[in-house]
Amino acid sequence: MYKKIGREKFLPWLSRVKTQAQVFAPVRENGLWTYGEWKNQDLPESFLNSRLSPKGLFLESLEPLFGWTSPAGPLQVKPVPSSSGPRVIFGIKACDARAIRILEPVFSGNFPDGFYPGNLARTILLGVACRVQCPGSFCGEMGIDPQDSANCDIFFRETPQGRIAKIVTGKGKDLVEGNDLWVESSQEEWESARKEIKGRREKPLFDLEKVKDRIARRFPEEDLWQRVSAKCINCGACTYLCPTCHCFDICDLQVPGRGARFRCWDSCAYPSFTRMPVHNPREEKWRRYRQRVGHKFYFYPQNFQLVACVGCGRCVAHCPVNLDLREVLLEVAR
Amino acid sequence: MNQTCQCLPGTNIYQPHLMEIVKIIAETEDTKTFHLQFQDPVIKGAFSFLSGQFAEYSVFGEGEATFCISSSPTRMDHLEFSVKRVGRVTQALHHLNTGDAVGFRGPYGNHFPLDRLEGKNLVFIGGGIGLAPLRSLIQNVLDNRLDYGEIIILYGARSPQDLCFKYDLEAWNQNPTVKMITTVDAGDKAWKGKVGLVPIVLQEIAPSPTNAMAITCGPPIMIRYTLLALEKLGFTPSQIWTTLEMKMKCGVGKCGRCNIGPLYVCKDGPVFSFEEIRNFISDEF
Repeated sequence: MYKKIGREKFLPWLSRVKTQAQVFAPVRENGLWTYGEWKNQDLPESFLNSRLSPKGLFLESLEPLFGWTSPAGPLQVKPVPSSSGPRVIFGIKACDARAIRILEPVFSGNFPDGFYPGNLARTILLGVACRVQCPGSFCGEMGIDPQDSANCDIFFRETPQGRIAKIVTGKGKDLVEGNDLWVESSQEEWESARKEIKGRREKPLFDLEKVKDRIARRFPEEDLWQRVSAKCINCGACTYLCPTCHCFDICDLQVPGRGARFRCWDSCAYPSFTRMPVHNPREEKWRRYRQRVGHKFYFYPQNFQLVACVGCGRCVAHCPVNLDLREVLLEVAR
Repeated sequence: MNQTCQCLPGTNIYQPHLMEIVKIIAETEDTKTFHLQFQDPVIKGAFSFLSGQFAEYSVFGEGEATFCISSSPTRMDHLEFSVKRVGRVTQALHHLNTGDAVGFRGPYGNHFPLDRLEGKNLVFIGGGIGLAPLRSLIQNVLDNRLDYGEIIILYGARSPQDLCFKYDLEAWNQNPTVKMITTVDAGDKAWKGKVGLVPIVLQEIAPSPTNAMAITCGPPIMIRYTLLALEKLGFTPSQIWTTLEMKMKCGVGKCGRCNIGPLYVCKDGPVFSFEEIRNFISDEF
C-alpha cells in the first residue's frame, strides 16, 4: 500500500501523531545528530545519519533492572517501573531499522528479556530513504537497500512535492488510514521516487558471501588477526557506535538504605570484558578484535542465521586510528 | 539438553529470588561452601535443577557472580554452592553470615548427560574448586548407585590445605563401591596420599576406556592436560565430558562475553563433550 502527503502537510500530520504517541526525530545535540524527542521543529533535509545509532532507544546505555530497599527489616526487592506508552521514531535509516530487528533474537528466545522486546512492541518505525552514501558505509555490500526497508512500519521517499510512503505493517497502516492529510499513491509513483544515491560506489568493496564462507576457516589464523588489528587502540568507540553491538555489563549501585542493579553497554575491545581472576581467554588485542568480527560474521550467522552488521559505516568513519572494517573483511574473504 | 525457564512469563529475568544462608562451611583458607534455602516456600516447592547447571548469585550492592550448584538434585533440602575468595563479589560473599540473604537466579545452562552415563564406568577427575560441579554429579550418581558401573574419583589440589569438601572425600574413601584417589602438588609431613599433578597421576592409575566415561573439571591448564592424558589412555572425544568456566554477566546468552568460538558457555554449556569443543579449546580457553 502506498500513500503520499504534501510537503506542507507533513509536520501537521506528525503533530497529530504526537497526540497519540511520543515522537522521536533526528535532532542536533552539541553539534552531533541523534534521535531526540520531537518538539515540533522542522525536520532536517540533508540528514546523513546519527552519530550514535538509535539502538539506545531499545537497549539503553544505562538501564536500571530492579531496585531494593534495605530498611531495618529484611531486604525488599522492587521492580523498576517499566517504560511504556507508544512511541514513534521518525527518520530512521534502513540500516538502523534492520539492526534493531537483527538484535531481536538475542533478547527473545528461551529467556525473554522484557526490556528489549517491550520497547520494540511499543515503537513504530518511520524510515526515510537515503540520498547520500554515508562516509565509511557499506550498506550495499551488506545487502541493504538504503531506499527501501521491510523493517520499518512506514518507509518514506522524499519527492519535490512531499513524501511517498510505503505502508509496510498494520501498525503503520493505522497511523495513516482515514487521515485526510494523506492521499492514495501507487507503486509506479513509489518506484519513480527512487533517486540516485550521491557517492554510491559502482563496484562492491568485498563479497559478503565469501566473507561468510571463509571466516570459519580463517578464524584460527593468528597472523591474519594480528595484522588487521595491529593499529587498534582498544578504545571501544566502534562497539558503542555500532547499531548491532549489544554486549552489556551488569553492576550494582548502592547508597545507605537503597540500591539498584543496572545494566550498561560494555565492549569486547576491553581486556576486562572476559578477565577472570586467574585467566583471561582474550587477553591479547588480536583475540579481542577477532571476537568482534567473528561475533558479527561467524557466530551470529551460525546461531541466528543473521549477519550482525548492517554496513552503516559508523565504526569506519569514527575510528580514531582509521581501522577500516571493510578492508578487514576484504582480507578475510581473500 | 534444552533449558527450561523457571521464571513466570512477563517477569524480569534479571531479578533474583531471595535465599537465606542456613549454613557456611569453611573448606579451605579462601574457599567457603554456602547452604541456601529459598525464603519463599512456593519457589522452594517449584524449584528444580540438574547436575551441572549453574546460577547467578548476588550480594546486593556488590554485584553478581556465577557459580555452579555444587549439591545434588537428589538432595533437595537446600542448595549448596562453593566460592573461592578472588574478587569483589566473592569477597562480599565471604563476609556474609548465616541468616543473611543472597540473590539467586537460575538454574541456567545445560547439565551432565545422565542418560549417557548410565551403565558406564565413570572416571571423575577434579582439581581444586573444580570439584564443585563434579560433586553434584557424584552425589547424584551415588544416590542411584546401581545404575552405574565402577566409579573412580581422582581429585587433586595444590596442597593438603587446599583440598575442598574433605568430608566428602572421606565419605567417598570409605565407600566400598568407589575408588578414591587424592593427590596434591606438594605434600607435607602428615600427608599420606599421592603427590603429583592430576594429569600425571591419571596416567599412573590408567583407567580403562572400555565402557567408560570421563568427566573432568578444574583450572583451565589442568583440563587441557587432562584431555591429552585421557586421549593417550584411549578415551575418544565423545567419552570425555567437562564443564567450563568463563566470565559471565547475564547467564542467559545475551551479555555476549562467555563464548568460546560460536559456543556460548552459558547456554550451549557449561557442560561440553570434548568432541564439541576440541576445535576451540586449545585456542580460546
